[in-house]
Amino acid sequence: MKNFRIFLIALLLAPLSMFAQQTISGTVLEEATGTGLPGVSIIIKGTSKGSSTDFDGNYTLSQLNKGDILVFTYMGFETQSITFNGQAIVNVSLKEDAQALNEVVVIGYGTARKKDLTGSVNLVNSDDFNEGANVSAQSLIQGKVAGVQISSGGGAPGEGQEIRIRGTGSLSLNSNPLIVVDGVPMSESNIGGSRNALNAINPADIASITVLKDASSTAIFGSRAANGVIMITTKKGKVNQEMKVNFNTNTSMAKVYDYVSVLNANQFTNLINATENEAYISRLGTANTDWQKEIYTTAVSSDSNLSISGAVKNLPYRLSIGYTDTEGVLRTDAFNRTTAKLSLNPKFLDDALKIDFNVNGSYIENKFADRDAIGQAVGYDPTQAIYDASSRYGGYSYWVDPASDEATLMALSPVNPLALLNLTNNTAEVRRLITNVKVDYALPFVDGLNAVVNVGYDVSDSNGRTATSNLMPSSNDAFDGSNSNYSNNSENKLFDFYLNYTKDLNDDHSIGIMAGHSYQMFEQEKMDSNSSFFTDAATKYFEKSYKDRAVLMSYFGRANYNYKDRYLVTATLRADASSKLNPNDRWGYFPSVALAWNVSNENFLAESDIINSLKVRIGYGEVGNVNGLENYQFLTRYTGSITGASYQFGDAFYRTYRPSPVNTDLRWEIGNTLNAGIDYSLFDNRISGSLDAYVKTTKDLIASSTVDSFTNFGNKVDANIGDMKNSGIEFALNVIPVRTDNLTWNINYNVSYNKNEVTKMPDVQTAGHFGIGSSIQIHEEGYAPYTFLVYEQVYDVNNRPIEGVFVDRNNDGKINDKDKYHSENPYADVIMGLSTSVDYKGWDLNIATRASFGNYVYNNVASSNSHTNKSTEKGVLRNLNTDYYNTGFKFTTDKTVLSDYYIQDASFFKIDNITLGYTVPKDFIKNIGFRFYASANNILTITDYKGLDPEINGGIDNNFYPRPETYMLGVNIDF
Amino acid sequence: MTKHIKITVLSVLSSLVFLACTKDLDQTPINKDSFTELQVFETKTEAKGALAKVYAALALTGQEGPDGDGDIQGFDEGFSQFNRLQFTMQEATTDHAVFGWGDQGVPDFHAMNWTSSNQFSEGMYYRLAQEVSFANSFITNAEKLAADSDIQLYIAEVRFLRAYAYYNLLDLFANVPIATKVQTTLPEANDRTEVFNFVESELIAIQTLLAPSKSNEYGRVDETAAHALLSRLYLNAVIYTGTSRYDDCITYAEKVINSAYSINTTDGNGNGSAYDELFLADNNTNGAQNEFIFAMNFDGNESQTWGGSTFLVHAAVGGEAMNPADFGIDGGWSGLRATKSLVTKFEATETDTDGNPIAWADSRAMFHVTNHSINISDIEIFTDGYAVTKFKNIDTNGNPGSDPAKQMVDTDIPVIRVAEIYLNYAEAVARGGAGGSEAAAVGLINQLRERAFGNTDGNIDSGDLTLAFILDERSRELYWEGFRRTDLVRYDQFTTASYVWPFKGNAINGTSVGDHRNVFPIPSNVLLVNPNLTQNSGY
Repeated sequence: MKNFRIFLIALLLAPLSMFAQQTISGTVLEEATGTGLPGVSIIIKGTSKGSSTDFDGNYTLSQLNKGDILVFTYMGFETQSITFNGQAIVNVSLKEDAQALNEVVVIGYGTARKKDLTGSVNLVNSDDFNEGANVSAQSLIQGKVAGVQISSGGGAPGEGQEIRIRGTGSLSLNSNPLIVVDGVPMSESNIGGSRNALNAINPADIASITVLKDASSTAIFGSRAANGVIMITTKKGKVNQEMKVNFNTNTSMAKVYDYVSVLNANQFTNLINATENEAYISRLGTANTDWQKEIYTTAVSSDSNLSISGAVKNLPYRLSIGYTDTEGVLRTDAFNRTTAKLSLNPKFLDDALKIDFNVNGSYIENKFADRDAIGQAVGYDPTQAIYDASSRYGGYSYWVDPASDEATLMALSPVNPLALLNLTNNTAEVRRLITNVKVDYALPFVDGLNAVVNVGYDVSDSNGRTATSNLMPSSNDAFDGSNSNYSNNSENKLFDFYLNYTKDLNDDHSIGIMAGHSYQMFEQEKMDSNSSFFTDAATKYFEKSYKDRAVLMSYFGRANYNYKDRYLVTATLRADASSKLNPNDRWGYFPSVALAWNVSNENFLAESDIINSLKVRIGYGEVGNVNGLENYQFLTRYTGSITGASYQFGDAFYRTYRPSPVNTDLRWEIGNTLNAGIDYSLFDNRISGSLDAYVKTTKDLIASSTVDSFTNFGNKVDANIGDMKNSGIEFALNVIPVRTDNLTWNINYNVSYNKNEVTKMPDVQTAGHFGIGSSIQIHEEGYAPYTFLVYEQVYDVNNRPIEGVFVDRNNDGKINDKDKYHSENPYADVIMGLSTSVDYKGWDLNIATRASFGNYVYNNVASSNSHTNKSTEKGVLRNLNTDYYNTGFKFTTDKTVLSDYYIQDASFFKIDNITLGYTVPKDFIKNIGFRFYASANNILTITDYKGLDPEINGGIDNNFYPRPETYMLGVNIDF
Repeated sequence: MTKHIKITVLSVLSSLVFLACTKDLDQTPINKDSFTELQVFETKTEAKGALAKVYAALALTGQEGPDGDGDIQGFDEGFSQFNRLQFTMQEATTDHAVFGWGDQGVPDFHAMNWTSSNQFSEGMYYRLAQEVSFANSFITNAEKLAADSDIQLYIAEVRFLRAYAYYNLLDLFANVPIATKVQTTLPEANDRTEVFNFVESELIAIQTLLAPSKSNEYGRVDETAAHALLSRLYLNAVIYTGTSRYDDCITYAEKVINSAYSINTTDGNGNGSAYDELFLADNNTNGAQNEFIFAMNFDGNESQTWGGSTFLVHAAVGGEAMNPADFGIDGGWSGLRATKSLVTKFEATETDTDGNPIAWADSRAMFHVTNHSINISDIEIFTDGYAVTKFKNIDTNGNPGSDPAKQMVDTDIPVIRVAEIYLNYAEAVARGGAGGSEAAAVGLINQLRERAFGNTDGNIDSGDLTLAFILDERSRELYWEGFRRTDLVRYDQFTTASYVWPFKGNAINGTSVGDHRNVFPIPSNVLLVNPNLTQNSGY
């Protein structure tokens, strides 16, 4: 109402004031260095008029009236206001707000000043992102945030990344955090044909990533936030900013240097000769082929991004396009992405109406190499040559079926890995559009009351196909190639409406209240079809489709109270209903409350030279989880059989209907977190960081639970069966040992300890399946989830494992299941991230490293391929892992594969990235800024683990796509 | 005032939004292959699809052929097929077969050192228990449909299938819970006698509800199936309950012998024997169907699985000298062979220079000899041990089955056929059962032997009708059809030293094992979820 009045008065007075208008100019400098600051925004308070500084920090502003207040703002600096009283020149020095306490952090349904936060929230700005080859958004903050573990599923380009915030929180459900892009929560399900759900977002478009870790900060997202929230804010234009163009391009090379250690041709020949079986010996070849070297190649990639940002009058904009062309180190693997992003952030009605519009489009072309080649190369007989001129299969050698007149491939024999790579063509295109419009309107009738509507739409469409050449080795002489096709469509619609009210009651008390409603619908549809061709018969054809829909409806509210910036209280409540749950248990209510005390704002610390800020926080919250839960499980539903699964009565084939396993009692999995923490900043903000301790207990854990099949339509059903506890401590430290005009040295270190324990599990659940129906991990009360359950190996005097001999742990004279014991688990006890950056004049050097301690891996590569009986299995020769020389094992049995000998400590230290950059001085080329950089990724791993790479998600190492070393050169141009 | 109006408008709007959306929370399946119970049991036409599933769950492994949407989770789908598991537990544990694959858990069967966590025996338990649940659900839902003779027939057939599942549970696992309704409360354990009594009472109850002998469609059971299974149940009653029931065995065997079923005598391919027709790709039409009281139906295109006959044909073929084309398949899986003990059950007409048999007058001796040694030194070497050529994917005219890829096999697998009942009758008579005659028993066995020899050369007389002879004759007639373990247990030869075969008890010449191995352990994972159950003694 008040604003409206001012607006009217201004409108009336505008013609009068024309006469008195004047002009001002000046330079804005950075106080610490005295250099000009470009892009500082200068606004006449209460209007949308203003300007911004040029490259040297100069500005001019006309049409001023005496008494106008000029507001100078620049991200990361304290804002300054100057009253105009006729000066012709005003020079301003802005002070760096190093601790950035006024930095605004995006939280759920709103923003908060960092100093007002009461929960465990970490913000990583683009300046602090990891450098180097980052195709996916997740890797930008790998190792940067305490308690957040991010690791890729392998070395393929654009590969999926597993994010775990504070350990693993769920068993059957997914333990991934909720990802929110510009206020739009992403769907939890993956998109077919895509390697990584976040591939649609170009990392170069991301301005900041906020990680919400404790339940008091995530509870506002209720049921979706059980495993934390990652909020991605994309880059935007700024009001009054001059047009800026940024172009960044780089080229990189990636190569695999380490291979699974297998027998070479000589060793293998000796092994087979030792069998003294002529049938096998006669199958030996004369070549010396290192199959692993043959399937990997040097991958060349490039990544280019162009962005234009600025403002047209009061319409800030940013437009960017990105193009990434990445090859995989596995031959024929490639990832190709084009992204385009537009942001518009206009403000109208005297800033009362703010609109944020984002549209992000991406087009990805994937070419998937056949990953079976990895395992086949490890196991393929090294005495065989790759090519055989007489081969009927495109010249690729193969195991000839001696009984076949047509010299076809022997059934069940390994297929030449290079044939697998070169004779299949598996490609997919993914189109995805993520768009949202957020309208924030300061309601005129109540001061401080804003109404916000956020409408989001995320749609993707993918199509993929695999064509297998008719030359692919096959045991069927009539095989004439095959085709398979699939398509995926998914839609995610969001409607949020909320009211936000903030009021300073007086100088001491201020409150904020937010309440709203959210509706989100997820729909996906999948189609699969394939056909095989045979020279002498009709095509075989197969088709299936799948479609489902889920709805999430929510009400939420938040109240903040702030007393003198010293005492802060935040309380939130969210009610969520999911269509995945039965109507009686569908609604979940998730509250939270948190308190913070800004100790440094107390009088006794106000004048402290040592302590710049000190905040103590404590918070409690509850969150729910049904992420990853299959739809409709509480309903009795029947699946109709499709191609090839009909049943014959008489002369007719009938479609069969199978009742699906059902659980009518599915409820929310509920996590409660208690978190206490300290944020500190000392010595002129040169030392800062935080310390947090937490206990998270999850109740009614949903797990794929074994059921007695007499009581259900299967042997597994998702059910709320257990409880889990995650507890830990996190410590983060930022140190700026040197900060001078020419040299800045920054160190970022974080360490976290986390322990996961299943605290209730009425029946032990097996996990970690491998091979044909074996499992090695369990979820059992009193142990970490995914604990390895194994036999204790007995060793001889030379510390060599004795085949088939295990410790009779229960002393009953038999070695059976009861002798298995709970060994280690795949989750690290301690993870660390250490990164440092040095800026010296124009040079910058960044190093990012990570370490993990206490994580164990089941070396299934060795356990499945280092027994002599494997070398001649099913009548063909197969290579062994060199671990055979350590054991001499002959037979794979139920027990030998479950020996604790294969559970290996996979603690590691890795240097993820080293980047050296040089920024050409600005005056070198007028108005054009250059930065050249060179970067190396994944250059060093120190570990005792005997397999290829100790960083194995889930802890079972089998046919892992190796992570290559990557070397990159790039240039970044600003003008 | 305006403020109030606005608030009112807002709250009306938001309650409208609320009403619109809460309805959206009631999502039901929109997938075109997904159905509700109402849809499936809307008409008897649809209900027949549910009936087909109760049959198919013993033949196929899921809703996508040959794999992709399995009935049993956490387990290689092909291995989860009933006949394949049955072969693994009933044949590969005995002198009939060795399984040459080293996959974890596989060698333990022939070595007789399986544990309660063996995934194959666990898979069998799930397969059978799930069949019981499918059957219970079908019965409950079908009973709600209008009384109709077809529906009554469906229900009776499903009760038979449930009894058949329980017969297998009884035989393999002994002490299992009896569930007759779908319920989520954990069932209590029943002892072996109670399970026996349940199977018996069900079969007796449904014999008059089932279709008259051989009046149903091929693939669906009739009254003869109930009679036949009763004869098998009674033959083994002494093992299951401690009380012998040979009189009853004879009574029900006679009903089968006098039924509309008969042994196949049509020698479609003219090779001089009507036995091999039973295991060919067209055995649903070549005459063999007259002998099949209950068979699992397969089709290379329509009913596909990696188990069933696909497994039995492929896994038995391998090596250089066996041409996959002779079996109608693309290639062998080099897995299964016979031990010498099976081969020498047949009287040889020709031997090689080492004195090993290489030819037989009995056409049931279907072995591949070339390149193979009769003795096994290493189970994993395919040419150690004669290969078995009994099951083929070619029809009586020599043409391969319908799958153009020659992977999926057409051949149906009989799980109850007339020849078995002849042998049941003979054994029950030999064991002193009343109501039959030795002369009839000899006559029945001679029918089988005349078919096998193509003439009367192999015929026996009453002096030959000993229990030992009958056990061997069962081997010769029924090998690889899922009976052997049960037979050896009945003769107390499965675990004891009274009969050993190569690699019995993991010793090259064979050795005895603990008596507890006459039944399989309740899977440890099942014990964990159902504490009402107790482990079979010895495990």
